[in-house]
Amino acid sequence: MLFFSFFKTLVNHEVTVELKNDISVRGTLKSVDQYLNIKLDDISVVEEMKYPHLSSVKNVFIRGSVVRYVHLPANAVDTPLLEDATRREASQAASKAKQSSS
Amino acid sequence: MENLNLHDAGPPGPPPPGQHPPQNLGMPPPVPQLPPQMFTTAAQLLDLTDKKLMVALRDGRKLIGVLRSWDQFGNLVLQDTIERLFVQNLYADIERGLFLVRGENVSLLGEIDLDKDDYVPPPFQQADVEKVFALRKAENAMNKKLDKSKQKKLAAFGFEGEHHGEAIL
Amino acid sequence: MASPEGPGAVTSSVNEPLDLVRLSLNEVVFVKLRGDRELKGRLHAYDSHCNLVLGEVEETIYMVDEEEEGGNGEVRTMKKQSEMLFVRGDSVVLISPQA
Repeated sequence: MLFFSFFKTLVNHEVTVELKNDISVRGTLKSVDQYLNIKLDDISVVEEMKYPHLSSVKNVFIRGSVVRYVHLPANAVDTPLLEDATRREASQAASKAKQSSS
Repeated sequence: MENLNLHDAGPPGPPPPGQHPPQNLGMPPPVPQLPPQMFTTAAQLLDLTDKKLMVALRDGRKLIGVLRSWDQFGNLVLQDTIERLFVQNLYADIERGLFLVRGENVSLLGEIDLDKDDYVPPPFQQADVEKVFALRKAENAMNKKLDKSKQKKLAAFGFEGEHHGEAIL
Repeated sequence: MASPEGPGAVTSSVNEPLDLVRLSLNEVVFVKLRGDRELKGRLHAYDSHCNLVLGEVEETIYMVDEEEEGGNGEVRTMKKQSEMLFVRGDSVVLISPQA
């Protein structure tokens, strides 16, 4: 849930999604779901000539499982807050694991 | 699921667009900044329904068709589908018809801008299906061979292939 | 499982593999990935899938210029920088704290 919540805070920011097949798509993050499927608006494709099938496409739905990276604007990320949230999520996961093994 | 609508406000009402409420990262209770039903697979696919889409599959195939149905797994029904092959600076369309595509094979799908409908940028030119198909097949075989040889060299650096035989394009 | 440690101990010791990663928060880590890539960057977030957020990242891509393509067949590397990067966990092979 951590990264789902994290991406929700980045809605309407410009991001670049790099896929495992090396395509990079830049656009405005419009939506994300629990699988980290991503919807981008007003897209532009890095190396457009290599991927002609995307030249008449204006928005994309990218399946989470094919994503390698999402390049984010650093100024949109509150890193101390993110680290705290990570620790909280980790301790929740640890206590859950404990409950189920006791 | 069918009754979900992006325009239904989630409780409490959505903030005016353009404002970024303070971040909340998994803190209980999560304060919804935008209606939570916006953030489901269903909502993402809902506004693509009955639209003409370009669907890129994980094996590199490109399908163009009208999205008629879908579910939470991303399984899709495409109507009047064509498959578009690209190779070098040529392309060709093959009529395929009605498809049910299993969600896990989808890499990306995009709504086709009807103003630019069927626009293929130069220098790509439409060519004979048989010709493009044969060239595509040869190029795939070549890529596979090159990929294999690359992976062999990179194995010395402790890497293994990511695609496992999947085509890159 | 009865633990001799108090509930507070969970957050400060290494009981499971990902606790090691937790100790690297806000530290520079090395990450090896599928697809012939490595990353070095400051760790800001992770989860149980090894999804990560790294800041001030340097990515190293290993590539081969094949002789058939006019190269010399040797392995070379390419470096890329990124200010803030989300990395999907299924590509991660290993995470190592950098001393």
